[in-house]
This record gives sequence, C-alpha cells and structure tokens, in this order.
Amino acid sequence: MKQEMELKIQAWLDGETSARESARISEWVARDSEAGALAAELRTARDGVTGNELGLRLPETREFYWSKIERQIQREAASASPSRSGVSWLARWRSVLLPVTGSLAFAIVMLVAVEQMKEPGFDEISATDSGMDAVTFHDQSAQVTVVWLQDNSQTVDAAQQPAEKPATDEASSETDLE
Amino acid sequence: MSKDHDYPASTEVELVQMARTGNLVAFEELVARHRDKIYARAYSMMRNEDEALDLSQDAWVKGWQRLAQFQGDSSFVTWMTRIIINLCLDQLRKHKRQRTESIEALEENAGGIERQMPVITPNPTEGLERAELRARIDRALAQLSPEHRAVLVLHEFEDLEYKEIAKRMKCSIGTVMSRLFYARRRMASLLAGLKRENLE
Repeated sequence: MKQEMELKIQAWLDGETSARESARISEWVARDSEAGALAAELRTARDGVTGNELGLRLPETREFYWSKIERQIQREAASASPSRSGVSWLARWRSVLLPVTGSLAFAIVMLVAVEQMKEPGFDEISATDSGMDAVTFHDQSAQVTVVWLQDNSQTVDAAQQPAEKPATDEASSETDLE
Repeated sequence: MSKDHDYPASTEVELVQMARTGNLVAFEELVARHRDKIYARAYSMMRNEDEALDLSQDAWVKGWQRLAQFQGDSSFVTWMTRIIINLCLDQLRKHKRQRTESIEALEENAGGIERQMPVITPNPTEGLERAELRARIDRALAQLSPEHRAVLVLHEFEDLEYKEIAKRMKCSIGTVMSRLFYARRRMASLLAGLKRENLE
C-alpha cells in the first residue's frame, strides 16, 4: 500500500478528512482487507493510548516545590525590576558613556604623544649677525626659554690678549720689584 | 486580601483574579491544585524526572509572569498545560540540535521500519486491567523517539488537531501525520511484544 493511502486511512480515523473523502475511504476500508486490517491496528493503538495516561504524582512536597518556585519568581522579579526604574536608565547611560569617554581620553593622549614625538623636546633657534651670536633654547615640557648671547668681537679680542698680556704683567711686576 | 482568606475554598477563577493582583498565596494554591498534572505532562514528553521537575517549575514561573495575558478563554490548567508543552518542545528542539541526525529521522525519511512491519491483528490491550494497561502503555511510550512520543502525547492525551500540533512543533502537517502513523504502529508492535512477554 502506498504511504499516501496509509496516511489517508489514519486521517479518516482521526476525523481529519472532508465528508466526501471520509465516505470514499470508509467504503475502501470495508472492501479491502489490507486497508481494513491497518485501520483496525491504528484504531486499537489510538484507543489504547487515549485516556490511559499513567497518573503521576510530583515527587516533592508541596512546601519544597513551592519554595523553589517562589525563590525563582522573586529572583527574576529582582533582576527585571531595575530595568523599569530611573536608576537603570542612568546605569545604562553610564555603561555606554564610560567606555566612550575612556576611548576618547586614550585617543587624545595618544595624539599628544605622537605630536610630541614628531617635535623635539626643545627648539634651538640661532640668530647671528656680524658682531654677535644668539642661541635660543626652548624647552616645551618645562615651558622655559633660554637665550644665550655671545659677543664675537670681545671674544676675539680676549683671545688675542693673553699672548701679549703675561709679558706686560711680568714686565710690570718686574718693574714694580725694581 | 487578608491572610485569613480561605484559599482552598476559593474557586479557580477567584484564585486567578487574586493572583493577577500580585497575591502569591493565591497563586500557590493554584500550583498546589495542578502541580501533578503539569509535572505529568512534562514527564510524558521528556521521560526524565529531573528535567520534568525543572521544566514544570519554569512553567509555573512563566505562568506567574504572564498572568496578565490569561484571558480566561480556556481553563487555567489548559493554559498552563500549553505553557509546559511549549517549554518541553523547546527543550526537545535543543536536544535535537545537540545530537547528530538520528536513526529515527533517517528511518522516517526513508519510510521507516514500521512500514514493513506486519499489521498486528489481535488487540494487544484486550483483557488487561486498567492499571496494567496504563503501565504497559507508559513503558511503550518510553521506547519511542522524542519526536514520535511528542506527537502521540499531543494528539492522544491533549486531543490536539494535526494543524495545531504542526504549529506547536514548527513542522508541516505532513510531518505530523507521518510521525503519528509510525508512532501508532510502533506502539501497536511494542504493546503486542509486552503482551507476549507477559504470557511467556
């Protein structure tokens, strides 16, 4: 027998077929022994099971069983209630804002650090003219600027003088002794 | 509602109304009245005592949380039974995802071993005491695959139509029909086998 026909017999037994189809299947089951035997087996299995569920009793005392349910109800109510209050609204904002502000702060620090790496910690600016050298040190981290001025003409004179001066001094001292 | 209220004497409708206002004592009375039925339904589908206990407990918690949705179109216990059935079906789906494709599923797609079985002509349940018959049916149910058992329980115990079973089990009506067919044939074979064992 085709599976489709077997399922039709079952649907007929369960009252899931139209009136016209029911009449057709009923006639076929009465006429065909194979169909009739299958219908009888399915009916026996169905009627045997229906209404014969084993009566089971919950294997826990009323008090113990209820205490578990009550605890679960209270636990779930407690975990659900903050979401309905204003505190939770703030907490949710905080949970969003904290990582965002943290990331922003980190990004700013990183940006400053990169900028500082590009520039040296201090600048040296030199300015020269014919008679004077000027060297400027600027330390950004300490916020200090130091300008060093050097008079070239005096340095040259001073450098030239010591060669002659000791002789003069010696002479003068000798003169003095004399 | 005062604590002196006679809850055991209250009708189910009164208890539901009180519970809907947040009265846990009234709800506890409802649990006490129907806990065996809800547990039995969970056990018939899961065939595991611990799982049935946990699921029945979850069903009561869900029932409490959704009391506002209970319109009273059906009885409270019918509404609760619907909740436990849905929880069991969800759990069975989880189990199915966890295991690899079962032999039963392969057999079902190929036509199943039950198709080749000879038709059981003598009634295997004939002449049995009601208690013995129930125990035998229970043993046979335990040997069915979870999918076949679920369809049988929903059709024979809960009296649901094919369409409703298909909706609950999230499958086609054709699948429901073929599962029910193989479940019944298997039950007939198992009951005949159990009867033979008893006679020997």
